[in-house]
Amino acid sequence: MNRTLSSPSPEAFGTDPWKTRIDRTFARALVLPLVLAIGLLVLLLGDTLYRSVSVQVVRADEGPGRTYPFGLAATEVLRQELLARGYTEEEARSLLQDPTERRVLFLQNRVELMWNTQEGPFRYVVTGLRDERVADFSLLEGLRRWEELKAGLGEGERLVLNPWLDQSFLTRTPSRSPLTAGIGVAIWGTIWVLSLALLIAIPVGIGTAILLEEYLREGTLNRILEVNLRNLAGVPSIVYGLLGLAIFVREMGLGPTILSAALTLGLLGIPVIVVTARESLRAVPESLRQAAFALGATRRQVVFRVVVPAALPGMVTGVILSAARLIGEAAPLLLVGAAAYVPFYPTGPLSEYTVIPVQIYLWVSMNIPEFARVAAAGILVMLLVLSGLYFLALYLRNRFRREW
Amino acid sequence: MVSLEMLKEHETVRTAPVSEAEALVDVRGLSLWYGKKQALYDISVRFPRNQVTAIIGPSGCGKSTLLRSLNRMNDLVPGVRVEGEVLYEGVNIYDPRVDPVAVRRHIGMVFQKPNPFPKTIFENVAFGLRLMGVKGSELEDRVVEALKRAALWNEVQDRFKKESGLRLSGGQQQRLCIARAIAVEPPLLLMDEPTSALDPIATQAIEDLIQELKTRYTVVIVTHNMQQAARVSDRTLFMHLGVLVEEGPTEVLFTKPKHPYTEAYITGRFG
Repeated sequence: MNRTLSSPSPEAFGTDPWKTRIDRTFARALVLPLVLAIGLLVLLLGDTLYRSVSVQVVRADEGPGRTYPFGLAATEVLRQELLARGYTEEEARSLLQDPTERRVLFLQNRVELMWNTQEGPFRYVVTGLRDERVADFSLLEGLRRWEELKAGLGEGERLVLNPWLDQSFLTRTPSRSPLTAGIGVAIWGTIWVLSLALLIAIPVGIGTAILLEEYLREGTLNRILEVNLRNLAGVPSIVYGLLGLAIFVREMGLGPTILSAALTLGLLGIPVIVVTARESLRAVPESLRQAAFALGATRRQVVFRVVVPAALPGMVTGVILSAARLIGEAAPLLLVGAAAYVPFYPTGPLSEYTVIPVQIYLWVSMNIPEFARVAAAGILVMLLVLSGLYFLALYLRNRFRREW
Repeated sequence: MVSLEMLKEHETVRTAPVSEAEALVDVRGLSLWYGKKQALYDISVRFPRNQVTAIIGPSGCGKSTLLRSLNRMNDLVPGVRVEGEVLYEGVNIYDPRVDPVAVRRHIGMVFQKPNPFPKTIFENVAFGLRLMGVKGSELEDRVVEALKRAALWNEVQDRFKKESGLRLSGGQQQRLCIARAIAVEPPLLLMDEPTSALDPIATQAIEDLIQELKTRYTVVIVTHNMQQAARVSDRTLFMHLGVLVEEGPTEVLFTKPKHPYTEAYITGRFG
């Protein structure tokens, strides 16, 4: 036994190369699912983006299939198109000045900005309801064969690089023709349904959370409700759809309207809001309640002047996340009557409606191949809205972050 | 070595008892139960006006429970039961006709850990005043006055309307809590180990503050630090196992304790 500490070396502490190696391997293995998830997401997004752009040859129903320079107003483009179709200056002006005629014209024709055309990049085309697709190529193939396609254009045909997700897509009504279909009605339907659903779910959800967490703190009722709420938050949404169909659509006679959809989604959103609001109320330290009580506040004053303001950021985040879930719901709304084809914008809680995910579902199941392009553009809109909501939640969480 | 039975046999040892006229708070035969467990045994004691009374004793002896029964904070604990009377200015605050919320508006309280609201310094101090319906320039004046009295004004005067109370240091937060408690001018101020979470310098500042406060307020302070009790208080109560063992002027209790348990505790033989 002649070990001394006279020559200290790192090994003096003892090493275990195997344990270190296992540790490192384990840490790396944990990263794998994350990489996989991110990879899949990027793949999905990339694929959707790729499918939402295509090269097309379209034969115009009327007119020469010409294009118009970038920067013109939509009305001006339409006027020039009318002239090109053989209307006189006089007729075109009177058609565009009459509000009814003008609306019909814009319904029947879609003024679109194309990334590239046979006449040069970034030009407008006017797509009519009866315009006919000659060919549709994916982005890479279309670009490779661009010159060949351009050379082979017939009378009244145009060659375009079409980004399906464009401004007119966002404002158009649905259509039987993929060339003129738009998501505008579905966007407004979503806005109506979601805001009404939140109008129902937020007061009920937050109120329930406050009641359970601040007034009935410990009790059998509270424990039973706790378990049930967590279970309700996990019930498949189609079950809520069945409930909505039975109660709101049939029993209450609301029919397939925005109101019955909003009531159904409201029910679906309540458990999630209750659970998140309770978590954030529970995170408010007991010492704050004690301080407020000691200053002579009543229970109501303690709850609404101290506890709720302190818990608000968490509650808001919960509401937004629940809204993000509700936006993506298609299944319950298919049951309570989101319509397949709604060519007009919703006017009130009792109008017919469709929402973005239902619209996407319907487009995907169409048998005209170009509806896949329309659906891809719809999915992109959906993703944009969702990520907007997530960023809002993130922003609010950071904005109101507190240290106790 | 000290059993509850032995303690209960003894009468509380009282040196220089407080007369009824001097007392702001008069506790008469107070017993308290948390569920089935009894926490206070038949406590009778008077707290004199404009003096600092310290309550000392080992952990779990009921110091905080006694303090909290003076402003009915114990009512918030589920399953609590109280017997006996607490006379505040001659009125029994446990009378069924008395509203506990109103009681708490007359009696300020400072807690063990600083607990400012996640609001601005101004809003923290204004909280109690707003509950009383004070508004406008009067509100502002009284907030400033309270901050000055809590010796916090010089440090926060340039930012008290914008900065969150949570951004202050621990000692400043505790002084903010004192300002919040005294803003409504409560005649009685209860302090539950107000310096136990603070460093020595912040503790010193709070102790100095307590000395100044007693000219205007009656202070009852719970502490587990005997030196602190000796430094800041005029009278001291020694409790053990829920029983009030001895009470008297601080210098007497610390130099010539009459009860053997008091002596054992202050000389550090148990606790």
